[in-house]
Amino acid sequence: MLKGVDLDVWPGELCVVLGANGSGKSTMLRCAIRLIEPDEGSVELCGRQLVGARGRDLREARRKAAMVFQQVLLVRRRSAIENVAYGALGELPLSRSISSRLFPDEVAARAHESLARVGLPDVAYKRADQLSGGQAQRVAIARALCQRAEVVLADEPVASLDPRAAEDVLVLLGEIARVEGLAVLTVLHQPDLAFSYADRIVGIKSGEIVFDAPPTALERDQVNALYDGEVR
Amino acid sequence: MIASPSLARARSLRPNRTLRERATTLGIGAAVLGLLGWAWHDTGASIPQLVDGIGNTYRLIVRALPPNWSVLGNAVHGSILTFDTAFLGTAAALVFSLLLTPLAARNIAPHRVVYEVARVVIGVLRAVPEFVFALIFLVAVGISPYSIVLAIGAHTIGVLGKLFAEAVEDMDMGPVDALRASGAGRIQVFVHAILPAIAATFTGLALYRLDTNVRSALYLGAFGGGGLGFQLFNSMELFQYKSATTQLLVLLVLLLIVERASLLLRQRIL
Repeated sequence: MLKGVDLDVWPGELCVVLGANGSGKSTMLRCAIRLIEPDEGSVELCGRQLVGARGRDLREARRKAAMVFQQVLLVRRRSAIENVAYGALGELPLSRSISSRLFPDEVAARAHESLARVGLPDVAYKRADQLSGGQAQRVAIARALCQRAEVVLADEPVASLDPRAAEDVLVLLGEIARVEGLAVLTVLHQPDLAFSYADRIVGIKSGEIVFDAPPTALERDQVNALYDGEVR
Repeated sequence: MIASPSLARARSLRPNRTLRERATTLGIGAAVLGLLGWAWHDTGASIPQLVDGIGNTYRLIVRALPPNWSVLGNAVHGSILTFDTAFLGTAAALVFSLLLTPLAARNIAPHRVVYEVARVVIGVLRAVPEFVFALIFLVAVGISPYSIVLAIGAHTIGVLGKLFAEAVEDMDMGPVDALRASGAGRIQVFVHAILPAIAATFTGLALYRLDTNVRSALYLGAFGGGGLGFQLFNSMELFQYKSATTQLLVLLVLLLIVERASLLLRQRIL
């Protein structure tokens, strides 16, 4: 349940959302790309209205945003590079995308570039289910890059990673925000990581935003209060 | 030391049952026994006949040996026809059930009504036995192996359609959501996220079904559809037991080959 959440995320910014379980963080991300239908209100993505969009319009709008999920959502039986290239599916006509052999060379080149960008040029032809958790999450970020998304929405992207791999992924998310100029919105469960890597921290409690500020302007007590008491 | 009454009750693993519960249990027991008695009477089951039957079977075996090897060539030919019948029927059913799958899996069906209609089609095809389809197609296209192909195909669309749709409903929807979220269309999602996840399961199910369908092709062939089943049925009718022995041996080899091959292929895929 979300109540009057009003949030703008800008290019070049890594914005971290904190909140207890059930506070509405994931719902917000899923609404932002309309995997969940909001009851009312509007969702605007790079100047396009998403609520009420249908079919082709909705797919066009979604192309602007990429999702990096908590569990790594790669197609397990396909290679890493194919998974990266799937980011381009939204822009390809059916005749060039019914098999990955038919993908244009330009897309293949972009996929390889994206995979190199996340530091994994060597795993291109490994099957997705043979990658480590951290590698898989970086492949998912490469997919977002290959999609040429302008917004990356990440739902607890480091939840199942060891601390080292978690930091690698957050450094990478920060880089694609600041270097590639994407808007990155990520849900996290670790306030420490948020303080280290975020440009902005948004706190959500019971479906409402309780603070929205850069880490330097926040006290730890404010963050800890998010997890106190009745949260739903 | 003697246990107190309350402790004795505490040792019982079941609560005391009421008279009503006991009567229900007794009634169900009596009904099952009655049904068994009726079935025994209705089917003409009898122990003495079974004992006599052992003697008859022995005399049959004596008359059936040695095998009549002159029908071997025909029997091998017939077994190939039987396999072809099952293979063609299964392959055709595979294509049609694959087309039905995206409509009949609740999690990816384009619309609730489409899903319900697809499920009804699959349900009917699965509920009607091959035997009944064979009777229909024997009239529709005439007595030929082709009618058996159609009968096997029709029933198998129902079986595979249901199994495929359930496999899709059980699959991890994560990759599907991820591709949808990046703007991929329905067909793109099916080809790139759903098919790779379930291809192995589908192949395994289809191979298992082929194995079953070879057996069906055998007995359906006896209606006049041809093949090894038809030959075996004729030999028994005409008391040519020595020929029947040869045909049974070929049948055994055919079933063993299909079962082993299907098993080996499934192990390689899964």
